[in-house]
Amino acid sequence: MQELALVMSGECVDAQEPEFARLVKQAKAGDPAAFEAILARHERPVLLTALRLLNGNIEDAKDAAQQVFLRLYRALHQLDENRCFAAWLYRITVNVCRDMLRRRAKSPVVALEQAEYRAADEDTDKVLERSERMRIIQRAIATLTERERAAVVLRDLEGIPTHEVAQILRCSEVNVRSLISNARIKIRKFAGRQMKRRV
Amino acid sequence: MSCEKFEQLIALYVEGDLPETEAHVVARHLDECASCREFAAGIEETQAALKDLRLEHVGGAVFAEVREQVLREIPAIGSARLWPKFAIAAALAAALMAGLLWRVLAPAQPVQLQAAAPLVPAAPPAVEVAARRTPVHHRGGARSARVAHRVKPAPVFKSEPLVVKMLTDDPHVVIYWLVDQNGG
Repeated sequence: MQELALVMSGECVDAQEPEFARLVKQAKAGDPAAFEAILARHERPVLLTALRLLNGNIEDAKDAAQQVFLRLYRALHQLDENRCFAAWLYRITVNVCRDMLRRRAKSPVVALEQAEYRAADEDTDKVLERSERMRIIQRAIATLTERERAAVVLRDLEGIPTHEVAQILRCSEVNVRSLISNARIKIRKFAGRQMKRRV
Repeated sequence: MSCEKFEQLIALYVEGDLPETEAHVVARHLDECASCREFAAGIEETQAALKDLRLEHVGGAVFAEVREQVLREIPAIGSARLWPKFAIAAALAAALMAGLLWRVLAPAQPVQLQAAAPLVPAAPPAVEVAARRTPVHHRGGARSARVAHRVKPAPVFKSEPLVVKMLTDDPHVVIYWLVDQNGG
């Protein structure tokens, strides 16, 4: 229940709206429809964050998302509905993915096409080019350390402000900036090398 | 500051992650340094590609599968969470029933004076006094026997019922067990 400390204490950055607080109260009282509504609201960020943290492995990401929501269900009665729920959920997601990666020392990168992705309406050449670029970026992300990957996924892909990322990762903002800076440079260098090889 | 050190700042500058004062320093350096401008352009390019990952579309079937799996496992968690409470309640009920049966079936035992001794002020040992006097004054033997018959009756052992408070892991469920210590 270490994660709960984030909800129970500390400043709330994004206080939840009354509608969400009501849902949590109802879910606590045992209303399955309310829990399903919470799940529907948060499944997208949880699954996509897990997908990126787990190197694009969609099966692992699904597994991680399930674990996150089951943990949420178990912790529901301890949850303070007026606190930073999203930050708590991201923190659990990061922890679950970290544990999964540690269990499987090496996680294979699944090709994006296999992972049931669908690009927006574009002509075939553009779609292929975009897919190739995404594959390179995905591989570049896989070369980062756990902390760098978590920081860059939360900041650049989820668009979470630096101070909130610091809360989620339980470190200082300076530390987060350092992680993000290193990660961006590594991604740039990796992508540069891959592009040169292709040319 | 060397260009290598500027790289760290540029990686933050391109996304607006630097405080204003540091951002000014980086902007001035970029005006003067062509290689750092090139580096900044490269970072901007990969950052744009990185953000393309946001546009990826994961099919609704994937979310539905996750949701279905979670909702399927929830009843098991619910019953797993409840069974210790039921087990404790059942154990307490069984203990209570066993206690009641024992009281009904076992022959009634008089309350022992010794059991109440710590709670009752010590009474003068009348019998012993009479016994001590007897050998000294033989003429008072009948009187001594009367004194011996004036033994005080055993005080009634009255105490408050014993309250056993049992906490469960659910803060809303507290079990109180009242035990009547007078044998009632």
